[in-house]
Amino acid sequence: MAFLELSNVRKVFPNAQTAAVENFNLDVAPGDFVSFLGPSGCGKTTTLRMIAGFETPTTGRIVMDGKDITDMRPNQRNIGMVFQSYALFPNMTVADNIGFGLSVAGTPKPAIKQRVTEMLALIKLEQLGVRYPYQLSGGQQQRVALARALAIRPKLLLLDEPLSALDAKIRVSLRNEIRAIQRQLGITTVYVTHDQEEALSLSDRVVVMNQGVIEQAGPPFEIYNFPKSAFVASFVGTLNLLAAEVADPAAGALLVDGQSIYAPAALEGRQRGDKVQIALRPELLSPDCTGRDDENQISGIVDNVAFLGAIVRIHVRIGDASLLVDEFNNPHLAVPAIGDRIALYFQRENCLVIN
Amino acid sequence: MARRVSWFAWIWFIVGCLYFILPLWGTFVFSLQKQRGTLSVAAYISAFADPKFGETFLFSNIMAVCTIIASLLLIVPTAYWVHLRMPKWRPLVEFVTLMPFVIPAIVLVFGFIKLYSKPITVFGIPIFPSLTESEFSTNILLVAGYTVLSLPYMYRAVDNGLRAMDVGTLTEAAQSLGAGWGTILWRVIIPNLRTALLSGALLTFAIVVGELTIATFLARPAFGPYLALLGNHKAYEPAALAIVSFGLTWVALGIINWITRGSRGGVVTGAR
Repeated sequence: MAFLELSNVRKVFPNAQTAAVENFNLDVAPGDFVSFLGPSGCGKTTTLRMIAGFETPTTGRIVMDGKDITDMRPNQRNIGMVFQSYALFPNMTVADNIGFGLSVAGTPKPAIKQRVTEMLALIKLEQLGVRYPYQLSGGQQQRVALARALAIRPKLLLLDEPLSALDAKIRVSLRNEIRAIQRQLGITTVYVTHDQEEALSLSDRVVVMNQGVIEQAGPPFEIYNFPKSAFVASFVGTLNLLAAEVADPAAGALLVDGQSIYAPAALEGRQRGDKVQIALRPELLSPDCTGRDDENQISGIVDNVAFLGAIVRIHVRIGDASLLVDEFNNPHLAVPAIGDRIALYFQRENCLVIN
Repeated sequence: MARRVSWFAWIWFIVGCLYFILPLWGTFVFSLQKQRGTLSVAAYISAFADPKFGETFLFSNIMAVCTIIASLLLIVPTAYWVHLRMPKWRPLVEFVTLMPFVIPAIVLVFGFIKLYSKPITVFGIPIFPSLTESEFSTNILLVAGYTVLSLPYMYRAVDNGLRAMDVGTLTEAAQSLGAGWGTILWRVIIPNLRTALLSGALLTFAIVVGELTIATFLARPAFGPYLALLGNHKAYEPAALAIVSFGLTWVALGIINWITRGSRGGVVTGAR
């Protein structure tokens, strides 16, 4: 049974022409880590705020642990929330911030002290309980914000782009810490981010949103490798898009810049001469031929070669389009020169045909 | 490299200082001339020895404290709510708080007397008593008048304090931790407004202690009317008390300056 259910949730702000969130349906299992991923303005934060109680759905229901919380006040939901701006109380020490929710609930002081000590140990800031927020770094403040949200033993943890204000290295280490703590505590978590790497690396499930609707929801592997729409395909990961023409729908044959390639299956509903787009992941293209029967080949001219550290990115021009090819870097890699003609190979099953 | 200030700017700075300091200096010297042929503090001693001085000064201080409390109770929740839920109403509220600059105190006090000197009735049934029939109720009217006069200063101070903090997010953070409105105001918002509240309170104090018009027309034994009355039949004592008043005001402003210097107040770190 789902721990958190959003049923037909819709949100229209006053005087708005369109809905911020439309027909949102989602079940979250207990202990799951679910990310809402999408560009700015897609409705992910609005949805999170409706779960938290800071916005009221125009229609629809939100049920948590079997209880309808749609119209419940935020301070009655027992939901811990971590904000993008940390929102630590400047007038309180770290210890007081963490213990705030417990003191509001009337918890005895010895119990508050013990819980605060536990939380400081969890976030590895045992010595910083007497400091004020302005005396902490951004990463430390965000850890305190997390501890404060967890101290009240919430049923659900919500995080609204908690790492976006931090630099890249701290983001990576802190997100791993967040995930480790979440696993340790087994708390159901909803995480909002526009960073696909964060969403893919942290989540049990990713909900990709666009213009207020869910484009696709599923495990990160499925979202990345089997996108169901052009938006998901292009938003999650890097994607090459090539213009193609249907040559033989029954055989799945396409023409790209006059070169023949084959889609994974027959092109149902299409006719010869139809214009379509094909999507190819850079890491699924290779200059090496495997010799398999289901392998496509396409040729182009090398425009640029970029060394990105662990990855070598080759820019190949095919007709008017530019294709990106990612190869793992190694000292023995035969890197083509700019201007060389290069043949690229990919499996038929990796070719995604888009309207 | 330090920026050089031009001699032209220095001239105008000195002229400006002289414009303010010379009259004060003149008043101060005058206040020391009660005893002919010598400078002495006789005028100060005479003024402080008058029992009326102590009574009126104490009364005005009490009224100032009551006004500060009334202002805080009125303005802090109002400004907070406007910031949090009704930001589009802020220009209107700011306009209302500036009205005391436009409406003279004498118009205000005559309006009070007109409205509150008789019981307010609905269909002949008194629903609100007259506020001018007893000293206590007239003092309430006096505090109300002072609250209106101090509105621009107190509201501006509180508004600036609220702008320096992320009121919305702090409120939501407190709500997510189970806090109700009272707890949020008392434990989160007001502590982060301490500096602003103190600034507003000290400005209100300075205004109330020296106020003349409302206290005169409501016939209350305040310090302002006492100073005016003293000036009608004495020369040196009013000058002495004027210097004392200035001194008190400067002390209040000095305290504000000292408290607000280097204050880390309600600054919330992190991205918005």
